[in-house]
Amino acid sequence: MKFTVTREQLHEGLTAVAASVPTKTTLPVLSNILVEASDDGLRLSGTDLDIAVSTVVAAEVDEPGSVTLPAKKLVEIVRELPSAAIRITTAGEQRVNLECGRSKFRLLGVSKDEFPSFPPVDFEDHWKVTSADLQKLIGHVSFATSTEESRPILNGVLWELRADRMRMVATNGHRLAKMDVPLTSAGSTADLIVPPKALDQVKKVFGPADEIEIARSENHLGFRCGATRVFTRLIEGPYPNYDQVIPKGNDRIATIDRQTIMSAVRRVGVVASDQTHRVRLSFSPGTLQFSVNTPDLGEAQDEISISYDGDAIEIGFNANYLLEILKLMPTDEVQLAMQAPERAATIEPVGWDDPAAYLCLVMPLRLVD
Amino acid sequence: MSKIEVLSDAVADQIAAGEVVERPASVVKELVENALDAGATDISIALETGGRSLIRVIDNGEGMEREDALLAIERHATSKIRNAADLVGVASYGFRGEALPAIASISKFELETTPRSGSEGTRVVVSGGRVDAVEPAVRQSGTTISVRRIFFNTPARRKFLRSQAAETRACVDAITLLALARLDVSFKLTSDDRVLIDVPQAGSVAERIGGLFGREMAEGMIPVDHQTPTLSVRGYIQRPADARPTGRKAFLFVNGRPFKDPFLVRAAETGFRGAATPGTKPSMVLSLEVPGEAVDVNVHPAKQEVRFKDRYFLEKCVEEAVRGALSPVESAPGWEGGGGTVARWHGGTGFHASGSGAQDGVELPPSFFAPEEEGTVAPGIGELLQVFNTFIVCETSEGLTFIDQHSAHERIIFESAMRQLEGDEAVSQRLLIPITVDLNSNELEAVEAHSDVLASVGFEIEPFGGRTVMVHATPNPHPRFDAKACFEELATDLARERFGSLPNRLHRFAATYGCRAAVKAGQKLSASEMRNLLVGLFACDLPPHDVHGRPTIVRLQREELERKFGR
Repeated sequence: MKFTVTREQLHEGLTAVAASVPTKTTLPVLSNILVEASDDGLRLSGTDLDIAVSTVVAAEVDEPGSVTLPAKKLVEIVRELPSAAIRITTAGEQRVNLECGRSKFRLLGVSKDEFPSFPPVDFEDHWKVTSADLQKLIGHVSFATSTEESRPILNGVLWELRADRMRMVATNGHRLAKMDVPLTSAGSTADLIVPPKALDQVKKVFGPADEIEIARSENHLGFRCGATRVFTRLIEGPYPNYDQVIPKGNDRIATIDRQTIMSAVRRVGVVASDQTHRVRLSFSPGTLQFSVNTPDLGEAQDEISISYDGDAIEIGFNANYLLEILKLMPTDEVQLAMQAPERAATIEPVGWDDPAAYLCLVMPLRLVD
Repeated sequence: MSKIEVLSDAVADQIAAGEVVERPASVVKELVENALDAGATDISIALETGGRSLIRVIDNGEGMEREDALLAIERHATSKIRNAADLVGVASYGFRGEALPAIASISKFELETTPRSGSEGTRVVVSGGRVDAVEPAVRQSGTTISVRRIFFNTPARRKFLRSQAAETRACVDAITLLALARLDVSFKLTSDDRVLIDVPQAGSVAERIGGLFGREMAEGMIPVDHQTPTLSVRGYIQRPADARPTGRKAFLFVNGRPFKDPFLVRAAETGFRGAATPGTKPSMVLSLEVPGEAVDVNVHPAKQEVRFKDRYFLEKCVEEAVRGALSPVESAPGWEGGGGTVARWHGGTGFHASGSGAQDGVELPPSFFAPEEEGTVAPGIGELLQVFNTFIVCETSEGLTFIDQHSAHERIIFESAMRQLEGDEAVSQRLLIPITVDLNSNELEAVEAHSDVLASVGFEIEPFGGRTVMVHATPNPHPRFDAKACFEELATDLARERFGSLPNRLHRFAATYGCRAAVKAGQKLSASEMRNLLVGLFACDLPPHDVHGRPTIVRLQREELERKFGR
């Protein structure tokens, strides 16, 4: 194998792929990047067996071939190289010489035969979405997935593809995020449960202007734009019926300035319990009061003006859940709708100038005496 | 002739002997106490055939003049008190003046004594209470008493003697008790020329415990030091992790005097609650110091029992003392079973337990339980390292501390659950999607029976028909909390266990809940999780022990490490 590539090209390709390389693995070859030189250019691939990322960068290939190289070292070397042409040649099965200007490296790789092959996903039948839409969905929803391992379904993001819209939903059982984006190009209907880590990769690897093709096989999902591809294993099983738990009749509705409520929650949250992060919110017409009382630590009170004319209500929340949601709300004002202190509260943007629809839900914390 | 006659002194002595002297061990006890009261610093005891054929006690005490020696074998003759008022707060071991005549009346008795004054020594030979001979004797100052053929004239009693081994054991126990009380005296006990106890004067209780029971036992003990304005409790208790269901050694002293009191032992056990496996019997050596007037030692002929004025308060103090001792990190085991405490056990010589108990003219013996140095507790938390996804290693000023993440977390949750069960608020996270749990009928019954305590810690449960329940809200003690698994395991545990009285029931529930809700071994923790765990653990009442009596902390002293590297 012999090829020449610019330092910038190689660096860009490696950066896209390196994120999918696991830092700790029991299978040593996974900490390597597969480098394949062919007439199409230079294909770089990395995987942790759940997610695979692969991309092609332009290169002058004199002699096709392939090898795997330690990802971390390769990235570090390329980062430190001067901006010049890099020439890579193999010497024997596993030895690689890398030259750039007067810098010379010799790296030991692992035979490509040990590198796991990519899941076969046929892009013949695919959906087309814009990267911008996808990024919007991922950015607003995937945070709400569960990290707790007992219910693997909740570790994934539900992605519903319909004729006229796509929707992502994520929940950990305590809070939920849901976003709809209208679709113009109709595709077939599908419900996919995708690991958030894969969605992260998708967000990173593809530019905002890209048009992404998405296709699925039995239990894998592929994303493709140009020569860059991301594959992921899908989580199997039925997603809980989230629609049923989203309250429709929340009639105590407050409209609140997002920054104001965020700073208040952050302030009083300082003295909230490290374990539960509980803050108490008391709504009365025109006013929202915050209070925190943590035994062994202290108390805090705060108050902000809001637009609210419902019955007074007192409700407790995990401050972190509130802040995570509020941070992602795309508008200056948000609407918080409640029904009772033990029922789910919903938070939605107010006056969002976007075809998308966004709703978050948070379950209250109760005090048991 | 009247039917009622006053018994002769000899008969009365024999009857009294029944109370004071029931077996060789009681003779040994009485004689050694006399030796101690005589200011001896070196006492040796020789037994033959378990004390049946011979008990000999040799001391280097102050000895007696001849007329005192003769008086000593008269009933109610004593040098230790003068009038009834002295009985209040009496500080010497003996005072009833019963022991010697009683012993002399049921054995072939020989007393050899020489006073310190330098007067001539005396030998008194008594047989069954009858003085056979009084003659001059040559001896260094001190007293030797030989008791041969005990119970030779009371065959009924002789029949009730137990095996030679059992009687020997009882004598060993009696000496052990006194040896623990008096560090300033060396004791040697031989039985048929076999040395059973040989302890030199000791500088600390730990040393004496080591001498009596072996090094290992001494290293597994945790110091107790609890003071209130009116009384103090000092001593050593066994580390909960070492406690076994049988073979407990419990020694109690009040103002330096050994006594037995199962209720105080139970109070001490209560102090272990939540830190030791139920059913295990931790060993203890506890010395109480109370004002003389608060205790009556004159309620039992052998003075095995004493009576306290305010027993409830005393029991509470003992319980608190034990809890207090279990709380510092030092009560965690060290490396290779060694105690971290050992290093601090040197110094601390015996001290005069004078104060409260002492009367004018009666010097209370230097007792043990000198105040030990205060250990430095609060460990600064340095870098944390998780090993085997199970233990957290952290560096402290004293060395390395290893923490079992599950045990530690269990302790934290247990204590907060106990507070919640006793009325503190609990925070309960409502669930978006209720958890449905299928139970078997036992589990269902147990869950229903515990619905109040389950609610107290934050589970909100609703029957869902059949054997299914819905859980609408759960506690959320940590981000990795698996509510469903926790609830299911809890139901299984509750169904299996039988719960006793209410505090015990809450206790067992909190322990079970703690165990099920805590992070498990094998879970990777982030740096901040580890830190929170440590902060939470050291905020607990009893950080070093988990609810099953296992240690949460093991310490490796820096010196130990340095020794290993030959530094």
